[in-house]
Amino acid sequence: MIKLENVTKIYKGEVLALQNASCEVQRGEFVFLVGPSGSGKSTFIRLLNKEEQADRGRVFVAGKDIGALPSYKVPFLRRNIGCVFQDFKLLPNKTVVQNVAFALEVIGHPRSVIKVKVPAILELVGLSRKMHNYPDELSGGEQQRVSIARAFVNRPLILLADEPTGNLDPNTSLGIMTLLDRINRTGTTVVMATHDRGIVDKMRRRVVELDRGQIVRDQSRGVYE
Amino acid sequence: MDYVVRETASNFRRNVTLTLATIITVTISLTLLGAALLFRDAVDNATVRWKDGVEFIVFMDPDISVELEADLRRQLEESREVVDFIYIDKDEAYAEVQELLGDSPELVDVITAERLPASFRVKPTDTLPERVDQLAEVFRTQPGVARVVTASETIRAIEDLSRGLSQRVIIIAIVLLVAAAVLIWNTIRMALFSRRQDIEVMKLVGATNWFIRVPFMMEGFIQGLVGGLIAMPLIWLTNNYLSIINDDVSLELLRGFMVDPARVWSLGFQMVGLGALVGTVGSGVAIRRFLNR
Repeated sequence: MIKLENVTKIYKGEVLALQNASCEVQRGEFVFLVGPSGSGKSTFIRLLNKEEQADRGRVFVAGKDIGALPSYKVPFLRRNIGCVFQDFKLLPNKTVVQNVAFALEVIGHPRSVIKVKVPAILELVGLSRKMHNYPDELSGGEQQRVSIARAFVNRPLILLADEPTGNLDPNTSLGIMTLLDRINRTGTTVVMATHDRGIVDKMRRRVVELDRGQIVRDQSRGVYE
Repeated sequence: MDYVVRETASNFRRNVTLTLATIITVTISLTLLGAALLFRDAVDNATVRWKDGVEFIVFMDPDISVELEADLRRQLEESREVVDFIYIDKDEAYAEVQELLGDSPELVDVITAERLPASFRVKPTDTLPERVDQLAEVFRTQPGVARVVTASETIRAIEDLSRGLSQRVIIIAIVLLVAAAVLIWNTIRMALFSRRQDIEVMKLVGATNWFIRVPFMMEGFIQGLVGGLIAMPLIWLTNNYLSIINDDVSLELLRGFMVDPARVWSLGFQMVGLGALVGTVGSGVAIRRFLNR
């Protein structure tokens, strides 16, 4: 599903974010990317939805070399990739239901489809009763659930999560992990960058460790360290 | 489609003052441009009319002797190249000056009939400007002739004057139009900035660049379009003013100083189109830079 081949990424010609990294992720896998800040976890994720371009090496997503993907096709790549972030990136002037609907609306889904899909996904993430609240009326965990709902409403092949529990307390984080696990069980490949030792150790999934841009460990059913 | 309408409307609400300033600038620049082009057309038309009845005027020395004047008259009568001529004596010339300068009596007071030259107004057979010039040249060198003025000379003078004038107006209009484009660019940039979160999310979930672009380009397009639509009636008013010039008897020289209504319409539509184009391009450039960041 995902393959990095000797990928090197250098920011502004000097900051080495990834160095000769190679990694392959199968369909339906759940992968943790761990490592200290600045080790290249975010870059790894940003390369996958072509927010960044590799300087050397090749990146494959769903069998396609996305380095060779013309820019007008990038939006269609991203429709197959859901994204979740530490800071949620919800639109503050839209309600929960509007935030999720927005993601479908802007890729051209008709209103009739949106009307069915959005309540269903909000049901899945457990926010049916807060559909008409604004993000600032929700707790951090609830906001992250909205963001996951938005990322998953289009049933993407891959879900990328960059420190999704970074702003949440341990209990709330566990709830989010349960949700991501459920999504993974539907067959969606999940790649999650995290600092959260507790979660990684508890979940016992594949762990890819990065250090100063290099993959130093790749272990199935691994722990944080 | 629904989305585009909603987004465009909300962008307008967000930036009412800037939008108004932009529309006013577009309107002023397009009105000036339209008026200048109209004026040029009018001058062209006036000149065309003149060419039909080309004549030249032989002004004689104020103190010309009776013999010399009679001699000139005979030459005109005998020339096969002259269809007809009219003799304007000093008193008639004075009456004409009085009429032309009716608005400024102090000037009329200075002029006396004695000081004005008598003249022959000549209608030549051949109205080709070159032939007229040749014929005029024959009289220019005659004794007792002060000056020979061909109609084409007068017209050329008017043309030069008006072209200089309308050229300047056109330059001002173009500068204003560029200013309008910059204003539109800036308005759209601000709209983009205030919606940067939405755009970030749109890019994230895979909205195409065109989908993101269209509401903003619509906004620029509408600003230009509305500016153009307001300019259209203003251009009509300018045309009415031209008609007033045309109807003014004292400006007989400018007879035919009019523009066909169809031409005014098409010019109006061209200005509307130009406004819409400027708006679309201005916003398009703003978005291009924003999306490529």
